[in-house]
Amino acid sequence: MANIDEASTAVAPDPAPGRPTGFLFRTFEAIARPAAAVLVALLSGAVLLALNGFNGWNVFDVMLFGVFQDMRSVSEILLKAIPLILIGVGLCVAFRCSIWNIGAEGQLYAGAVAATVVGVAFEGLSSWIYVPLVMVAGAVAGAAWAGIAGLLKVYFKASEIVTTIMLNYIALISTSYLVTGPLKDAASAYPQSAKLLREAWMPRILPPTRLHIGILVAVALAIALYYFLFRSSAGYAVRVVGINPHAARYAGMNVGRNIMLSICISGAMAGLAGAFEIAGVTHRLYQNISPGYGFEGIAVALLANNNPIGAIFSGGLFAVLRSGSELMQITAQVPQVLVSIIQGMVILSVVAFGVYRFRSTARPQ
Amino acid sequence: MDDIVSLGFLATTLGATWRLATPLIFASIGEVFSERAGVLNIGLEGVMIVGAFAGFAAVVSTGSLPLGFAAAMLAGMAVGLVFALFTITIKADQIVVGAAINLLGLGLTAFLFRTYFVSTGRGVEVARPIDIPGLSDLPFFGEALFRQNLVVYSTLVLVLVAVLVLYRTSFGLTLRAVGEHPKTVDVAGRSVAAYRYGAVLIGTGLAGIGGAFLTLAHSNQFVEGITSGRGFIALAVVVFARWSPLGAFVVSLLFGLFYALQLQLQAQPALNIPYQALQMLPYVMTIVALVMVRKGVTPTMLGVPYNKA
Amino acid sequence: MTVTRRNCLAGIAVGAVALTWLPGAAMADAFKMGLLVPGSVSEEGWNRIGYNALKGVEEQLGAEISYVELQQNPASFEKAFRDYASQGYSVILGHGFEFQDAALTVAEEFPDTVFLISSSYIHEGNVIGLNTDTSQPFYLMGYIAAKMGTKAGLVGGMEIPPIQQAFEGFKNGAKAVNPDFPVSEAYIGNFTDTTAAKEASLSMISQGADFLVPNASGATVGGYQAVAESGDKVKTFSIFSDFTEVAPNNILGLYVADYAQGVVRIVKGVQNGEIPASNVEFGLKDEDVMKFTFRDGASASVPDDVRQEVEAVKAKIAAGEIVTRNK
Repeated sequence: MANIDEASTAVAPDPAPGRPTGFLFRTFEAIARPAAAVLVALLSGAVLLALNGFNGWNVFDVMLFGVFQDMRSVSEILLKAIPLILIGVGLCVAFRCSIWNIGAEGQLYAGAVAATVVGVAFEGLSSWIYVPLVMVAGAVAGAAWAGIAGLLKVYFKASEIVTTIMLNYIALISTSYLVTGPLKDAASAYPQSAKLLREAWMPRILPPTRLHIGILVAVALAIALYYFLFRSSAGYAVRVVGINPHAARYAGMNVGRNIMLSICISGAMAGLAGAFEIAGVTHRLYQNISPGYGFEGIAVALLANNNPIGAIFSGGLFAVLRSGSELMQITAQVPQVLVSIIQGMVILSVVAFGVYRFRSTARPQ
Repeated sequence: MDDIVSLGFLATTLGATWRLATPLIFASIGEVFSERAGVLNIGLEGVMIVGAFAGFAAVVSTGSLPLGFAAAMLAGMAVGLVFALFTITIKADQIVVGAAINLLGLGLTAFLFRTYFVSTGRGVEVARPIDIPGLSDLPFFGEALFRQNLVVYSTLVLVLVAVLVLYRTSFGLTLRAVGEHPKTVDVAGRSVAAYRYGAVLIGTGLAGIGGAFLTLAHSNQFVEGITSGRGFIALAVVVFARWSPLGAFVVSLLFGLFYALQLQLQAQPALNIPYQALQMLPYVMTIVALVMVRKGVTPTMLGVPYNKA
Repeated sequence: MTVTRRNCLAGIAVGAVALTWLPGAAMADAFKMGLLVPGSVSEEGWNRIGYNALKGVEEQLGAEISYVELQQNPASFEKAFRDYASQGYSVILGHGFEFQDAALTVAEEFPDTVFLISSSYIHEGNVIGLNTDTSQPFYLMGYIAAKMGTKAGLVGGMEIPPIQQAFEGFKNGAKAVNPDFPVSEAYIGNFTDTTAAKEASLSMISQGADFLVPNASGATVGGYQAVAESGDKVKTFSIFSDFTEVAPNNILGLYVADYAQGVVRIVKGVQNGEIPASNVEFGLKDEDVMKFTFRDGASASVPDDVRQEVEAVKAKIAAGEIVTRNK
């Protein structure tokens, strides 16, 4: 518990005393164990399919090769990875502070709503201003939505696990109200907003594919937040509060401010993910714009051992699994739910293989 | 508008309250045991849906409701065993494993339902309301309280037993000590791990029954995702109830009340409120209540694996 | 539908095996149809209707079929359309209005592929909306409710056009008989929570509704259970599927949507090179698609004079003389 700097080397597992510690060994271990864990997860998916009358081999075929068949397929995986990485990276910060923000789904919706409100409002604005404006709107709304839970935590000691779950429901129901009411497209009968103005759309970086600048932003923010968490004194404070708030208080750190900071960062990232989904993918707001990215993001962060750089890869992995399960349904009519099973198995096998020690960050209160 | 203040409205609301609260009562009282021993299971949603599915599957193949509930409890405990193995024996982070359990529970039940049961189409025979002679026909109270099925009534027994076990037995005393001062328990020669296993199994077994209430004692079919977030609500109930079984019972009822109210109020055409505002009611009220009620203590070692040192 | 679900599933399994064995090129000449559904086809509701349409095309026209469930995931819509179109699928059905935008985008790249969109009025080039006007059979139900009952209740899933339209039709039908006939509505906010559908229905019944129709896709069955448990005085109609087993004493009749027949008809036209020149609207005029029938097994059935009136109204709706929706 006391070893705070353990976190900074978390990408590679700390070798146990008395074991080989050479660079090659560490590299091998850092790659081999997660790879083995993923293979075990795929294998269990394959066995499940084989037991139920499907071709089990198909899982490997699709997940390891099929999904990467061409540029377009790869771009679609990256497109799906954008919200997963953003949310996962943001949650790394909150979880490092021991703030269990389960509300990324609601924060994503808050960001999506804000991006929509801004994205339909200003005709004639140049893309150079509009695109960043939409992103900022999403991030601010996400941070504000998460900030509610933060304030309740700091001032009323209300458990953020509970408040963020409740705020999820409230955000989803509000979105349903907005698209059937105030934000509804006047020109159509459907519960959807008007289309965003073209200048507000996220620029695409790999035409003719749909991949947009969101992926660059996501990776850049992941790196930035890695430096924030592990190389800045502000990030150090966040982690100390996460490990031992009493010690942090004795050391003169403002616990409440650090809780607010970390939960708002995670909210901003989720809100940004929502803005990207609207301005980069759907171009309008619907009642359902997320298949549960906010919940999957929790797994993405945990799988990365709450390390933002690791979340780039775990987010990518989850996007591959999602794309793969869609492809498997299209080509072999395998039920889509297979994706949840494989994702769950990935987490369990990573734990079982001891890839990371997943040392619990919860602390006595 | 006048129906709102009528006794009939109140009676049906209270009846619905108890029914809607029942799955939450089972899951949250179970989770109280688990968290009192220091184990936070955010995989409750996954456990509940496994119970809902296992119960349904058992009744479809055997036709027996008691067997269905037994299967639901055992299936819940089986998931609990996996959870306990990873969190207590392997000492993995409880939130990590809980997240995996949720994914696995929702995924596996949907997959198996689709592979084996979609073709059955028919539902199962659900537990029937039991008339209590003399009470069920009482004006007002009959409708409000005494026209439920056995599972709903059993929540009263459950809360009573839970309170007795947790506060009046040495098992309960030790279990609570495990969540507060595991070292003391260890020094006294009792196994912290064994008590935590026990607490997790109690919790997941009850959550399994809570899930099965949905498929066996309320509606009669399994639908993918039928738990609709009740496992997460149960987690909220436990915190709001400050880790007390009696509190969990009352808070579940409160939640059931807000839920029943929103469904009842929507049906009032005279109330010119967007229905979404009413749908938010239970969630907003939970936050408000959480801010207002702050007594009681969090188990000290909640979420912390125990290392014998 | 004569297909049992076990057959369907066996078919899927066999198809899966066959597909992986056969080289793709060997099937190049087969007529192929793809389907995008927003949720799970295992539920007794909206998504199953789309799936049945696909199976209908397979069985009656010998098409090779494939479907994908895109659980509320708009990011995947465009990709799925493009995947099917680029693999030579001639017809792709997007089952829900939410697929419209993605279809329009992809359709430009694949001018020879026909994109059908359920619950939509669109007609732009090769993107064609297919709408089943559910307000028409619901108008008849509302008419019957006002003739036979004192208060009606409608329990919906989410407030989306297919459900809003249906409820609009019901209210208009009831008003045609009695302008003051009370009809209350409630939405449960999702399509999975059978428990909520049941409790919402029970609460309406306790508030005096004696004619109740649930319309919440997978959660619909909860509404029928509430009706069945509330005794013989409460009446209802079975919608979309046959729910008579759930509430045998209360179901006065059935509105069964055989969307498959409508889709088969359109796809058959496409096979023969006849692409619809406008969006398609199915209604009571299409007797193969919309089946509205009375039933005698319930504890009280619809009296003969009312049946005759309803038949007359039905004929007028089919002829376009009665408008069931608000304009």
